[in-house]
Amino acid sequence: MATLTLSEGSTYDPSVPPPAFGHALKKYWAFDEGYVNLNNGAYGSQPLPVFAESQKIQLLSEQAPDEFHRRLYLPLLDEARANVAKLLGAKVDEVVFVTNTSHGVGTVLRNIEWREGDVILGASITYQAVANGIRYLGDRSEQPRPQPYFVELRLPMTHQELIDAFRAKIREIKQLHPETEFTYTPGSEGQGNRFVVVIDAIVSLPGVALPWKRLVKMCAEDGLWSVIDAAHSIGQEVNINLSEARPDFWISNCHKWLYTKRSCAVLYVPERNQHIIKSSIPTAHAYGSATATSREGKPVPSFVAQHEWSATVDFSPFLSTTHALKFREWLGGEAKINSYCHDLAVRGGTRLADILGTKVLDESGELTLNMTNVMLPLPVDVTGKPSVYNAQNMATIQATVQQKQLFEWNVAASLLFHAGAWWVRASAQVWTEISDFEYLGKALAQICEEIIEDIPELKKVDA
Amino acid sequence: MTGERFSYDSESAPPAFGHPLKKYWAFDKDYINLNHVFAAAAEILLRAEQHPDRFHRVTYMPLLEESRELVAELIGAKLNEVVLVPNATHGLNTVLRSIEWREGDILLGTSTTYGAITKTLKFLGDRSEAPRPVVYSVTYTFPLTHQEIVDTFRTRVRELKFQHAKTRFTNVPGGSDDKGNRFVAVIDSIASNPGVLLPWKELIKVCEEEGIWTVLDAAHSVGQEPNINLSEAKPDFWISNCHKWLYAKRSCAILYVPERNQHIIKSSMPTSHMYGESTPRSRTGEQVPTFVAQHEWTGTQDFSPYLSVKAALRFRQWLGGEDKIHEYCHGLAMKGGVRLAEVMNTKVMDETGVLTLHMTNVLMPLPVDRAGQPPVYTSENLPHINVMLREKLFDDWNVYAAHYYHAGGWWVRASAQVWNEVSDFEYLGMALVAICKEIRTKFFPDVSDA
Repeated sequence: MATLTLSEGSTYDPSVPPPAFGHALKKYWAFDEGYVNLNNGAYGSQPLPVFAESQKIQLLSEQAPDEFHRRLYLPLLDEARANVAKLLGAKVDEVVFVTNTSHGVGTVLRNIEWREGDVILGASITYQAVANGIRYLGDRSEQPRPQPYFVELRLPMTHQELIDAFRAKIREIKQLHPETEFTYTPGSEGQGNRFVVVIDAIVSLPGVALPWKRLVKMCAEDGLWSVIDAAHSIGQEVNINLSEARPDFWISNCHKWLYTKRSCAVLYVPERNQHIIKSSIPTAHAYGSATATSREGKPVPSFVAQHEWSATVDFSPFLSTTHALKFREWLGGEAKINSYCHDLAVRGGTRLADILGTKVLDESGELTLNMTNVMLPLPVDVTGKPSVYNAQNMATIQATVQQKQLFEWNVAASLLFHAGAWWVRASAQVWTEISDFEYLGKALAQICEEIIEDIPELKKVDA
Repeated sequence: MTGERFSYDSESAPPAFGHPLKKYWAFDKDYINLNHVFAAAAEILLRAEQHPDRFHRVTYMPLLEESRELVAELIGAKLNEVVLVPNATHGLNTVLRSIEWREGDILLGTSTTYGAITKTLKFLGDRSEAPRPVVYSVTYTFPLTHQEIVDTFRTRVRELKFQHAKTRFTNVPGGSDDKGNRFVAVIDSIASNPGVLLPWKELIKVCEEEGIWTVLDAAHSVGQEPNINLSEAKPDFWISNCHKWLYAKRSCAILYVPERNQHIIKSSMPTSHMYGESTPRSRTGEQVPTFVAQHEWTGTQDFSPYLSVKAALRFRQWLGGEDKIHEYCHGLAMKGGVRLAEVMNTKVMDETGVLTLHMTNVLMPLPVDRAGQPPVYTSENLPHINVMLREKLFDDWNVYAAHYYHAGGWWVRASAQVWNEVSDFEYLGMALVAICKEIRTKFFPDVSDA
């Protein structure tokens, strides 16, 4: 059986300690020579050993699909689910895999049988596709449909400020709907209306960690449903401990920070809420069985059975979680990986801000895990004054930064516009070092100079 | 990837169809696998790993458009009516879940609709409170002529309309009333079990006359059915898998929605960052319909299956093109079916050939339930027989073909592919003769052969 000829880094000896973190680890990834990847938060990356294992699984499923699906897949899937459940502090039958976080959040929000009067609350910094998913539900052209709201969050904010902002918004919404009885609370019989809150555990743009556990508690106290968009969490956030945190629903991408093959996400639904997820999306053969038996004699909950095979897909990403976790163990485990990355994110952000002559978004450090957000040396919108950033300028700036980053400097980091300013979001990873942040700084300094040259209005703005 | 089977010289002629072509596939069971397409897809995957940012932000979109262009041409559709989705079930769910169902709406499936789709219909009807459609089914017991299928369908439609005489189905395709009730039919172009071609174009015409929305489950069509020509056939929605008969990598499907109906598909599934954009643009820069823009990116995934379509079609061109492939496979399905029936001493389901494209359905030498006689098959023994067939075909004989219970009997569905020959059907027949004997001994020791 021929396999893809990968480079030396596609195998590793688990009995031999790994190289030091930093550039020495680069050989275990497929990155082009010279490509400075500070954008792990966007697409994630599977190490070559995981790639190699995924190829083997794929080939096997192609060559002998029947053998694979009947005999090999389910035990491998169960093993993968068990490993992930352990990492999350959840029960194995509360954990299934889906294609990605958008899909997982969609599965939850589209299973809820919305009634007129229901409310969904997101935030202004909710991931665009998820926010759109919320809006879509509210856009149904006739009843019944929920009413979407978004709490305005302008970072940086302290944890307490964030919680207060949510609380205030919830109060405001309830005051707008005094006749609505939000009696369909988690654990209740299902009468009345629901108030659902979509909370980011770690926001994408900017890349900041929110006090989601405290927000979950707040929701629980108030009878609100909590849907946690934790896309960035697994593999970046330590001690997630879902059994303790008790969100109503929680979804995270494994291909972002956990080193799995693209694409794979975890959908966590505690037993008490599984009756709400009537169907996988799309609906599976197993739909409608109270407890489907898909393993010899051992029944599994419908939630689990439906998600084993919700239509034909390539299952190798789900199964790659096992190899990804093994590789991470070899590197030293979750604590070691995230300690390095967090430390580098903080130092890297400071260094980047020095080079650019700007500042870090999160000066307190309260919001920083493995990503840092640093302001770009471009004019900042000032409240009360007209913005230079019209749609055209914004599009030009985005296109220019992307073009120059990727093709002139061969460096990647995400660009974002927040609170009137442009920021770069850089991801620290085990293959990155401080010099990468310095290189990014050098590139962005130059690129921003060129942008100011090209867009005359920007020159006239007081920095 | 290296190795003779992972590449082919497009300048030189291919080998003859049949076993000489087997080397371009690499299965140790009788299974569809296309190694060089696999290799092409693997290279795409590697590129995505070598530079994820460049690949996902710059490289991917133009390649996706290429794939869409190629399949649009193949099915006689406009480029901006065609998007790619992970699989047919996903595409059908996108359509069926996009429809804003109202109390009084009717959703009609069939007895031979694919399981997961039947379940999707059930799910929609299972909503615990209004609004939800009422779900019905029309029963097809094969073999049927095309005329019989059309008549059965029309009769059922009229029957349901009569039953729901108080409902005014004014929300019809091409009409202006989007507030009234809808009658929606899910129509298979090619059913799975049995693997038969239905007169779907005629059924669409019936639906046009009756004001019924047509959702085509064409999972098996692209790469098996010639002359699909959607611009002419005018289904309201049409979905087909590229990884079944078109040789693309698993998994990839076409979702076709003509311009006139795209307003119904408000959102991709899941919803995309492009949802709600007033002037949606493809990432390549051009303005495109929101339907197209939304489906470019519905969350991060492995895009190599979508992009493998080009390599798949190129290979099919090299083999001689769609017509040549169809001629061989159809001819072999017919001949193979006859031979299979001879070996098993039974009969082909489709004696006239109108239901047969590249799959043939042949009765297995097991008892047949007959009206007026006590049932041989029960909910007890049916699943066990099914498992036994599967295990023994697989483990004892190293061959596999789908098998199913229909119209009181057990049938095998054998697919003819370019690497198959009649001897493969003979081998399958031999295997089934032996296995069915074992089944009869185990389950029906007292029943004499039908």
